[in-house]
Amino acid sequence: MSQFFRYALFRAFRNMRGNLFPNLTAIGIISISLLLASIFSLIALNFSYFLKRWEEKIGVIVYLKKETSVNEVEEVLTRIRELQGVESVKYISPFDAMAFLEDRLGEQRSILDGIRPKILPPSIEIDLRREYRTSAQIKELISRIKTIPNIEEVQYGHEWVETFSGLNHFMHLTQWVLGGLLLAAIIFIISNTIQLTISSRREEIEVMKMMGASPAFIQIPFYIEGLIQGLLGAGLAISLLFLLYEILLQSLTPLLKGWISPIPIFFFSGETIVAILAGGMVLGLFGSFIASMRVLR
Amino acid sequence: MIQMFHVSKTYPNKIVALTNINLEIPSGEFVFLSGPSGSGKSTLLRILFGMERPTSGEVIIHGMRITHPRFKKIHHLRRIIGFISQDFKLLRDRTVWENVALALEVVGCPPQEIKKKVGEILLRVGLQERGRDSILSLSAGEQQRVIIARALVNQPLLILADEPTGILDTRMKEEMMGLLLDFHQNGTTILLATQDRELLQKFPYRVIPLQGGRRMDIIEEEVQEEG
Repeated sequence: MSQFFRYALFRAFRNMRGNLFPNLTAIGIISISLLLASIFSLIALNFSYFLKRWEEKIGVIVYLKKETSVNEVEEVLTRIRELQGVESVKYISPFDAMAFLEDRLGEQRSILDGIRPKILPPSIEIDLRREYRTSAQIKELISRIKTIPNIEEVQYGHEWVETFSGLNHFMHLTQWVLGGLLLAAIIFIISNTIQLTISSRREEIEVMKMMGASPAFIQIPFYIEGLIQGLLGAGLAISLLFLLYEILLQSLTPLLKGWISPIPIFFFSGETIVAILAGGMVLGLFGSFIASMRVLR
Repeated sequence: MIQMFHVSKTYPNKIVALTNINLEIPSGEFVFLSGPSGSGKSTLLRILFGMERPTSGEVIIHGMRITHPRFKKIHHLRRIIGFISQDFKLLRDRTVWENVALALEVVGCPPQEIKKKVGEILLRVGLQERGRDSILSLSAGEQQRVIIARALVNQPLLILADEPTGILDTRMKEEMMGLLLDFHQNGTTILLATQDRELLQKFPYRVIPLQGGRRMDIIEEEVQEEG
């Protein structure tokens, strides 16, 4: 059996060497296709992570009417705490708000001179439970908060949440559509290259059939050829992607680095890389299978 | 054992190649198939080798009913047959050695054995010095000897030979017949199609004469019986 596979491997490499240009072209096109798909996947992966991190920080701020009394504030706090999805609440008095502002302004705090804390409205910061951080659930919560008396305004980054959610959805959709198209293209390219190899080996195949070669003996080298094309194409795509990733990281300006430093930019995990390589091989196998179905049977 | 029952073959262009052929060749027999060009000799051999299907009739070779619609193991049949024919081309981009070795590689022969067997058969067909040469550098007669070597290297149970000596000179013709007789003496069944009267006269084996796709010996018997 091992001798059979050694011989099949030898024939696969000989076939590839004999049709070097079509094989290199196929590997190049596979790697470009997989590179495009991988770029999208990597962006989508990082984007999803970023969105998840950002969603964790989403909070709702409720501004109360300025004349709200302490008892009324207590009443509002109690009612908000009872709402589904609320993790914790924190009351920010006008004095706390002024202190926060002064802290943020730092050396320029003097611009607040003469301004009394009383002009700032009291507010309540609401921390949401993890499972209640989707756009729809936040909207639902806000509509309930708005029914509570003494509420002046409710704020949350709804535009951002919606934009990011929409963008994330679009990224995933693009990833699948592009992935599907590229998948079909890769199978088409591999099957055509293998078909070309088979055609150039037609005489040899005929002679082997005459000598009693089994169908497996004839077909397996072409399957191996497809596997190798897929593996090399995927390997090249991953290598190029890693190179691009490194270049991107190196070329980030210090300012940009400082800005995005809390958000790590990931590369694919080892498991994902293995899955991409295996995927390339499966595509190669499938392409060569189609070619052999078309030509050899 | 080869058995053919009522085998007929008509090509799509309506040319009738064989009509109602019945024959039985026991294992180990040497049989000549004689007849002029177009008599159906090559078609009969091609049917036995599984290259063509008869229009009707049944063919059984070593217990394999090769005309059965569900017969899929054509490669098993071909592994026991050495087919010497001009139809069965040599690979022009390979050496003499590689062409002969391919017959052993496809049946999974170990490399050491391939080396030994190819060396032996090339010696027997007188091409031991030409193993590394390209097929294109050989004369027609030498190429025929490579075809013979390739057919015999696997020590087949049955040899089907279609005009194997047609383009060989007298000395090589005798050597090739000597080689086939060696195989025959070791128990190989041989069915050799030829128009060469000299061969038929020189070797006293059974002759099946074909003409116009029919067995002339059977027709003559029937005429005699009717007479």
